Amino acid sequence: MPPSRSAAAVAAPLLASVLLLGACGSGGDGGGGGSADGKPEGSITFQTWNLRSNFKGYFDGLVRDFEKANPGVKVKWLDQPAENYAEKLSADAGAGTLPDVVNVSPDLSYPLAKAGLLMNLDKEKAAARFKGEYTPESWQGNTLPGLDGSYAFPWYLNTGPLFYNKSLFREAGLDPEKPPENYDELFAAARTMAGRPGGRTATLAGTPSIEDFGRYGVRLMNEDATRFTYNEPKGVELLTRYKELYDRGALDAQALTNTPEKSGQKFLEQKVAMNPGSAHDLGTFKKNAPALYRNLGITDAPNNNGKPNMYVMGLAVNARGKHKAAAVAFAHFVTDRRNQEAFAHQVAVFPSTKGSLDDPYWTKDDGTDEGRVRVASAKMLKGAVNYTPVVMSDEMKVVLKNEVAKALQGKKSPKEALDDAAAQSDKLLKRS
Amino acid sequence: MQRAAGRTPERPTARAGRVRTHRAASPWLFLLPGLGVVAAFVLYPFLSTVHKAFTDARTLTPGTWVGLRNFRDMLDDEQFRVALRNSVLYVVAVVPLTVLLPLLLALLVHKKLPGVTFFRSAFYTPVVASVVVVSLIWGWMLDDRGLVNGILRFLGAGPVAFLGDQWLLLFSAMALTVWRGLSYYMIIYLAALANVPRELHEAAAVDGAGPLRRFVSVTVPALRSTMVLVGALSSVAAFKVFSEVYLLAGPTGGPAGQDTTLVMLVQRTGTGLNGRVGYASALSLAVFVLTLLLMLLVLRADRKEADG
Repeated sequence: MPPSRSAAAVAAPLLASVLLLGACGSGGDGGGGGSADGKPEGSITFQTWNLRSNFKGYFDGLVRDFEKANPGVKVKWLDQPAENYAEKLSADAGAGTLPDVVNVSPDLSYPLAKAGLLMNLDKEKAAARFKGEYTPESWQGNTLPGLDGSYAFPWYLNTGPLFYNKSLFREAGLDPEKPPENYDELFAAARTMAGRPGGRTATLAGTPSIEDFGRYGVRLMNEDATRFTYNEPKGVELLTRYKELYDRGALDAQALTNTPEKSGQKFLEQKVAMNPGSAHDLGTFKKNAPALYRNLGITDAPNNNGKPNMYVMGLAVNARGKHKAAAVAFAHFVTDRRNQEAFAHQVAVFPSTKGSLDDPYWTKDDGTDEGRVRVASAKMLKGAVNYTPVVMSDEMKVVLKNEVAKALQGKKSPKEALDDAAAQSDKLLKRS
Repeated sequence: MQRAAGRTPERPTARAGRVRTHRAASPWLFLLPGLGVVAAFVLYPFLSTVHKAFTDARTLTPGTWVGLRNFRDMLDDEQFRVALRNSVLYVVAVVPLTVLLPLLLALLVHKKLPGVTFFRSAFYTPVVASVVVVSLIWGWMLDDRGLVNGILRFLGAGPVAFLGDQWLLLFSAMALTVWRGLSYYMIIYLAALANVPRELHEAAAVDGAGPLRRFVSVTVPALRSTMVLVGALSSVAAFKVFSEVYLLAGPTGGPAGQDTTLVMLVQRTGTGLNGRVGYASALSLAVFVLTLLLMLLVLRADRKEADG
């Protein structure tokens, strides 16, 4: 076969190698219309993020109540698994099938809002009139840098508990009733745990995330969110201390590659002593690891500046939806005080509506472990901050993780690694 | 009958012309559905990728023309160099093994022995099993507290960081790829072995050739074209490896991203709400060109061998 024909013969199947990207097309126009004012009517879609498995009854009831109060509206509830949620949103956005009401965190809503796919609630009268029902911080939490306005109805807040294994603490000679409260205590406990008799045990399964830098007191970005600043001396100090832990075996052997799911699995298997998680994990521990559940300690993530991390969930409205009035009405219905409080009674999350946290449920300790954590966490929420910068894309998070790994491996000094991470992220930010 | 008899007979030339037209059009009509699918799912995405490679398109924005900027960025991108190195290493290490080992396996199960059908089926199991499931099982086995390290500990050897060291991780993924490919390519060899004339072996045996000599002088030359095919297929697969490395190394591409392969880099940069579709398209185009060059290299080497 002459070479040219050979080339032609191989070229056809090889075209498939570039097809993947062809399918990842840029966002479509989406069309849409309708006014947010007027009577709510029509069929709308509502998408939540990994809530069906535990709260099906609650959401079915919510939809039923709303449809009863608004006879002209039909709500179709969709739920997506925790993993690859951003990919699902980008596929929907690209195909012009973004749900009418969609569960987002500020970092997810940023690119969607920037592409004009989310409704600016401050500029839409029908939505802006509800602003006063939410705490100013939570409404502000959904405003995005460079975009004038708030892009999601504030929904539930969470500080995210830190789970620890009391049994491993005991074996290492640590007091299981006194978990570390700040990073000094965490590092001291991790050193003790690594040197415990009968074999080293890692305290943490992962490397420091951007939230760790925030809780340590590192300034993450400049004022106008145009430049990353986690490479300042405080950040270098944190990474240097983590390097010391890594060298001592206080971090899991696969800490450099562990995903949050893998870290959770290692904690479940009692291979690591501490792991951040969510209230949903309690059920998993109870069902899959009863021995761990019996020795489970729950505390807040270590903090050096008194401002815990706060995860902010919101409900955004598709700016190109056909039934905007129904979508706004439903998003407000789900996030109004009554329904937020009802949801927060089902799971350890906190409402973002004004006055809710003054309710005795969140101020009076009922003597149970859950009650103690709930009251303590609710108290901390008042000064809580969402540390994850909304402009920080997944790629920038990978950049930071990989540079942190280089520092832990000793391939770069902590300063060099963070300088490089910040420089690469700034470059990505400039072009975003 | 009367009406038929009364019909004016068609002129032979007009009928012949229509038949010729039908004959020319018929294949295209049969091909049309397939061509439609190819145009929609192959040609359009390909052309779209080529176009986007010269823009700064992102997942949610179409982007503007930036000329060769994405390709210049690629040359400055440390991750691209790492990914290219890993993909080339993958080809260099995996292809010889996937050409030779399946051949030996095929020779083993080619013989008509009692129970050999069971072994043929058993060897084929890894191909049938999902790559995700298989990779997860390997991940558990190679974990620092997994089965392999358990055995090593039992034997008195310390735990080996199969999934914590960049090179061990890459070699583990290569081993997984070779293991999965063994039986797939074995089937191709088995089909080819069935066509090797028995007389050639018998003649060589009569001439005093031993099993090794017969393998080198009879089997290998008879299977040369099949070996080239296996080499070409496994080269492309190795160069475009994704699942095995992604599942063992995680989304960051191993410790400090040092196990990232080219396709992983495409996936990482081009997906998500902030995906840099323009840059990822440029990377895809580079993968396409490099794969094409690799295939031409394999075919050229084969041609040279045949001419020689």
